[in-house]
Amino acid sequence: MNQPLNDICIIEFGASVAGAACTKTFSDYGARVIKIEPYDGGKLRRIPPFKNDIPSINSGAFHLAFDSGKESVIIDFSSNSGLEIIKELYKLADLVIYDLPPSNIEKLQSVLDKESGPSTVSITPHGLQGPYKDRIENDISTLAWTTRMYRNSIENEQPLRNAPESTLVQIGHTAAAVGIGIYWGHHHDKIRRDAEVSGVEAVLGNVDTGFVSWVFTGNLPQRIGGQLKTRYPTGIYPCKNGYIVLSANEEPWFSRLCIAIGHPEILKDQRFTEFREDNWEAFMTYLGPYLEKHDKNYIFTHLQKHGVMVAPVLNASDLLNDSQAIARKSFIEIKDDKNGDFHFAGAPFHMNQINDHSFQLMAAPELGMNTNDVLGEIGYSANEIIALFRAGVVG
Amino acid sequence: MSNHSLEGIKVVEMAEAWAGPVGASLLGDMGADVTKIESYPRHSLTRPTSSRYATMPGNGPVYERDALHHQGNRNKKNLAMDLRTKFGKEIMRKILSEADVFIEGYAAGKIAQLGFDWEEVQKINPNLIMISIAGWGLAGPYKNMVTLGAGLDATTGHLSVRGYPEGDFVDTHPNFHSDATGSSTIFFAILTALIQRNITGSGTFIDLSQWEALVWQFPAILADWSMNKRIPARLGNADMHIVPHGVYKTAEDDKWIVVVAENDDQWARLCEVISHSNWADLSHAYSSIIGRLKGRKEIDEAIEQFTIKYNGFDCADLLQKNNILASPVVTPPDVLLSKQLYERDWHKTIEHKWTGPVMVGGFLWNVEPDNLDWNIPTALVGEHNKEILLKLGYRSDEIDAFYKKNVIGNKYSD
Repeated sequence: MNQPLNDICIIEFGASVAGAACTKTFSDYGARVIKIEPYDGGKLRRIPPFKNDIPSINSGAFHLAFDSGKESVIIDFSSNSGLEIIKELYKLADLVIYDLPPSNIEKLQSVLDKESGPSTVSITPHGLQGPYKDRIENDISTLAWTTRMYRNSIENEQPLRNAPESTLVQIGHTAAAVGIGIYWGHHHDKIRRDAEVSGVEAVLGNVDTGFVSWVFTGNLPQRIGGQLKTRYPTGIYPCKNGYIVLSANEEPWFSRLCIAIGHPEILKDQRFTEFREDNWEAFMTYLGPYLEKHDKNYIFTHLQKHGVMVAPVLNASDLLNDSQAIARKSFIEIKDDKNGDFHFAGAPFHMNQINDHSFQLMAAPELGMNTNDVLGEIGYSANEIIALFRAGVVG
Repeated sequence: MSNHSLEGIKVVEMAEAWAGPVGASLLGDMGADVTKIESYPRHSLTRPTSSRYATMPGNGPVYERDALHHQGNRNKKNLAMDLRTKFGKEIMRKILSEADVFIEGYAAGKIAQLGFDWEEVQKINPNLIMISIAGWGLAGPYKNMVTLGAGLDATTGHLSVRGYPEGDFVDTHPNFHSDATGSSTIFFAILTALIQRNITGSGTFIDLSQWEALVWQFPAILADWSMNKRIPARLGNADMHIVPHGVYKTAEDDKWIVVVAENDDQWARLCEVISHSNWADLSHAYSSIIGRLKGRKEIDEAIEQFTIKYNGFDCADLLQKNNILASPVVTPPDVLLSKQLYERDWHKTIEHKWTGPVMVGGFLWNVEPDNLDWNIPTALVGEHNKEILLKLGYRSDEIDAFYKKNVIGNKYSD
């Protein structure tokens, strides 16, 4: 099956969330991804959930989702023999992704041909240079540096993280963007490039942080929870059978909402036309009964028909039954004899048309299942592979 | 020096908030020639008319001083144009005929009303890559529905796992995670299509649902349900399998620090620093992972008794010196206290007509040998109207006529 990225070969180091999230999209659109893993499989394979809560190096959800279609090769690159293999492997690659401490990246780059070798992307928490470069961080501690935890909380309560590992996924996918960018550049101008992604900078430099707003205004974000009671209605509201999210504090959405809930008179009421900031409770005497009367899916379809930005709060069990997800085949059922059937998200974007086969979600590899084949491909004989295996260099 | 990775690629962006503009800026950062077609005479969503938004005090139009507009619109030229007019459509056809990429970020159906859906656009330029980034995509029962990032957060299940464990959903701050993650997906999708164009020789239409671009980033939410029929719980900052893993008070009011010990080695080092070294002795229950899972409350209290003696930065410095995973929970002003960001010269100060010199966040990545540069500060409304139209072959008198007929403009009415 021809896929757009079939001509790209990537070597991934780190066996980590960000590195795997970076190369997943390449793999799903056809690139060959050779994943270099340690004997213990690294962090990614150990992250739950697992089918029936039985942990296994080959059945974690993050591994199955993010290592789709990749090849797994075990190499201990701390030894000279391991580095020699890496040097040969680089010759296959168009792009190399590192998600390792700076000292390990430096070591691996010492055997990279800086003239004709592949371009590289290094992912680290704080970058390859600077006083914090050797700090250890994880998903939550990296997010803490970006102002997003502080903002996503209530005053005097603990700042809150996002979904587990989602910060590292964002960092990994940022690395995917610069990675495909420098691959394109290398292909066209023949300039080999080294990109550096500091996790903190990758998140802090994007939107949904509070830094630039503070610079411009001197104001800190309001940490008041889910409902803004001065510029309303925006935020999270309870309804008959759950919760909905509204973004209707501005025009034309405010007017549309008032008309949709059957109270157009609000639009001529001085309390809301001139003094809205002081009248949230009064406004809720109109909106509250509507929300109490209707369920979240009714509210979603009814208000959206009037052009109001509203969405139901869905949980995991709702997702598979979501009519939009069903219509677009947004989730793919994975038939897995060993781990049992389960669902993962499908294509993050559709080229030409839905299900045009440019995206393929393939099985994730068992740990080390491609070691012998890949070593053979780069010229190692069967006897040499056995020698490396006996010494614990490959597995 | 500027990065030249995407040199020669012409990008046209028509998007407002936020993934589309940011994705286009990322392309501009890497050398693409990006033109933003800005709505006119209607203000873009990111061009507020009131100073109650996050705008910088000062002179000049409020809509030129908005913080997020500045953050999401660097490295692109600006043509403010009324696409509903006959001449606006003519100009757009000329622009698209020379472009490589067209990013369209309006609600589903809007671009078709304007006469520039894929069916029409591919007639103008069959080599064009067109990407539509509607919230739920261009197909399916939600295709005409409208949303911002908070709605995507709610409907991907992300909101269901965020928040305080004992709290109500209404205590959870709306989140715009998709605005950040969507930009990198847009970038990746466009490059994928350009690579495909090299192979096939023809353009492509990309239907990017921002919902789909976000939902794959949370594999555990759906997997826990489809593998174990379990709806993931809201855990706050805790991790079911790691103790300690939390956020703790510091000496400063409402300032916090993250502390985590993922294994026995990190735990032993932490115990030494917080003066509970006996908790790492083999004879003590907390020396093992299982013992710590049972002692979460006491351990969290002991850590907080330590962290509350320091400010967050000093405490993190002390813990990190001992190879313990810790970071201050930074507020916006705290960003300026990071020695790392300072030494890396990460923040950028840019000159802008109406804000003066202003500090903004730096780039998402660095590239050697040709690093990124802020070549074009956030453009004024219609700042490049004349330059762009002259390049398209229009005469100065024709451009003046376009201004008079409100086909193009360089100021909004307040």
